[in-house]
Amino acid sequence: MNAKSQYWGHYLYLLPLFIVVLLMNIYPFLEGLRLSVFSENLLRPLDDHFVGFGNFVRLFTQEPLFIKTLVNSLIFTVVSVFFEYLCGLGSALLLSSRRVRMTNGLKAIVLLPWAVPIAVNALIWRFMLSPNFGFINQLLHQFGISGALTINWLNSIGLAMGVVIFVNVWRSFPFFTITLSAGLSTIPRNLYEAAEVDGAGPLRRFVHITVPGLKNISLVIVVFHLIWTFINFDVIYLLTAGGPLRSTEVLPTLLYEYAFTRFEIGYAASIGVFLFLVLSLTVGPVYTRLSSTETRS
Amino acid sequence: MCRTKLLILITALAVPTLSFASGAQEADSAPSSISYWNVFDPAISQDGERHVEKYDEYEENTGIEVDNDIQVYGDLRQRLIVSNQAQDGPDIQHMLGEWVYEMSQMGMLVDITERVEAWEHADSFPDSAWNVATVDGQIYGIPSVASARTLVYREDVFEENGISAPPETWEELREVARELTMDTDDDGEIDQYGFAFASSSDAIRGPQEFAVHLWSTGGNFVTEDGDGWTVGFTEDQAEQVFQFYYDLMHVDESVPPYSLGWEYQELDDAFEAGSVMMTQNGRWMRNRAERTEHGESWQTAPYPYHSEPATYLEVKVEGLNVHGTSPDAAWDFLTWLMDRDNLVYISQTDNLPARTDSSDSEYWVDDPTWTGTFVDVVPDGRSMPPISMGAIFDYSMEYVQEVLYERMEPAEAAEGFYESVESYLEQSVN
Repeated sequence: MNAKSQYWGHYLYLLPLFIVVLLMNIYPFLEGLRLSVFSENLLRPLDDHFVGFGNFVRLFTQEPLFIKTLVNSLIFTVVSVFFEYLCGLGSALLLSSRRVRMTNGLKAIVLLPWAVPIAVNALIWRFMLSPNFGFINQLLHQFGISGALTINWLNSIGLAMGVVIFVNVWRSFPFFTITLSAGLSTIPRNLYEAAEVDGAGPLRRFVHITVPGLKNISLVIVVFHLIWTFINFDVIYLLTAGGPLRSTEVLPTLLYEYAFTRFEIGYAASIGVFLFLVLSLTVGPVYTRLSSTETRS
Repeated sequence: MCRTKLLILITALAVPTLSFASGAQEADSAPSSISYWNVFDPAISQDGERHVEKYDEYEENTGIEVDNDIQVYGDLRQRLIVSNQAQDGPDIQHMLGEWVYEMSQMGMLVDITERVEAWEHADSFPDSAWNVATVDGQIYGIPSVASARTLVYREDVFEENGISAPPETWEELREVARELTMDTDDDGEIDQYGFAFASSSDAIRGPQEFAVHLWSTGGNFVTEDGDGWTVGFTEDQAEQVFQFYYDLMHVDESVPPYSLGWEYQELDDAFEAGSVMMTQNGRWMRNRAERTEHGESWQTAPYPYHSEPATYLEVKVEGLNVHGTSPDAAWDFLTWLMDRDNLVYISQTDNLPARTDSSDSEYWVDDPTWTGTFVDVVPDGRSMPPISMGAIFDYSMEYVQEVLYERMEPAEAAEGFYESVESYLEQSVN
């Protein structure tokens, strides 16, 4: 038996995995692309027809909520990831400090919000934030804040987006903490000691040793979280469902509304394809370019 | 060597496929279980417990297990739609009446017209209930419960404040709500409100309450004419409804200011907690009354009206899913469960059974508060029209919120609501 036929045997072992990937990832993706160029309404299954880019034209030119949901999506994504990184880096530095004890226990506590299912997280926060009976308002009331019991966190047009971002940051930053902690542990300790001997203060050591040392891992987790947050549906849907008055409506919740309230599956798919294109054309090239720059350097 | 590997691979792929196929065959010939997707949760409702009792009884009698899959309404609807797209589904599915049209159009439901025509108990259900389960002359389910909405109020607080009778009109409702709104512990903050309603942008109850208000002005969401569907209300009628919401919230201040965006859970919780004295509500409140200290003083009355009495007659339907593996066994179970005594037995605390002969059952409880009022208002009951109502429901709550957040005048909201419904009917229905 020659070497070539031996390799074929190896490839055959990969076939089941390939079939699974094909069925679970490639097929839904292609089906989404197909749907986006069809006018397909679940209530009128016999009326399906090809519309080319018609759904996209409708989205860009006729959709009254397009700009609002796009802006909301960008705000939700950028602000969330910014604070997730900030909180994650701060807590990672704290947990990596030699002065802090019981770091394993603290890491477990920090991880808790991330380990709890999103649906449970969202429900807990809904209860805690509910006016009158909620824990947060009761706490503020105990501190003597007048009118605290009537604060309607999730149904106030001015507050809802901020609260949704807060809850999202709260549940996501532990991932940054753990990942950045792992990154910090790979930076050689003797670099800090040498810098200290040379008279570098904490800030200079942070800027010149910690930041470059975390650059690669930061890039990866920030990019992935930009993607995950931009397409995040569950946190917003479970907390506000896009309300009040669309103040927290983002593209994924708009997609859901068209798919499950109006049953316009084709149009909803075009919103999904738009999300994919935005991420592919923005975050993707940035990530590739930064990665290749880093590799060269 | 290579042949051996190939053989192993083919066997690995073939075994699950063959076992899946044989399993499916087995389900067709002699089902050992029937899957039933519903909302009857024994953890929160006594009727849910009774449902489980009946399923166990059926299994004892027939050897067929009822695989009871419980979800909340929002999740149930979404799961049914997604499963249908994936060519999957349960044997039997529970539905709100307004789902029947859209799910029948999606090809999700078995047409059971012939089975119903041959069923000896079909005449025991009123035509109004069958109408909800019927689309274009085809029957897609059995209407299991048909329950109206009433005013649920705190009789003890009414008496304490010298109010002798529940309000009958919107004006009286506003007046009583104002009287009952007060600071009961003298801390300078209002802690008891006369009334509250659902206004969540994702509400299930909100559009139903809105519908009752609209019907009460003489309007409908939509009406059918020869060529299709048209807007069923005038801008004046819609304005009266929006004005009613606005007055309660901003003029009378007799609903909690923090109730903006409430869904039914928050609304019912507030009534149970004693911070709200009146709500438009259903018979399921009996479950809460029985576990609450002041529950004995909860009373019911016909819901106050504007120009004509109206209530939402909520019919719920049990249908057979086209992807179910055992339609005959599912039908046998369903008709057994819809037998008079069984149906009355499982409909004690939530909704009323849809059968007209329910009161002849030994399990029928003639309770004036939780049965009498709900039966009395049935003649004023209306149901949702047989079109996809999701977008219209969304518009109704969107414009209610526009008014409550004071971003639109009631007249402006009425105009916007009218135009939105008109546009939706033109583009998506007719």
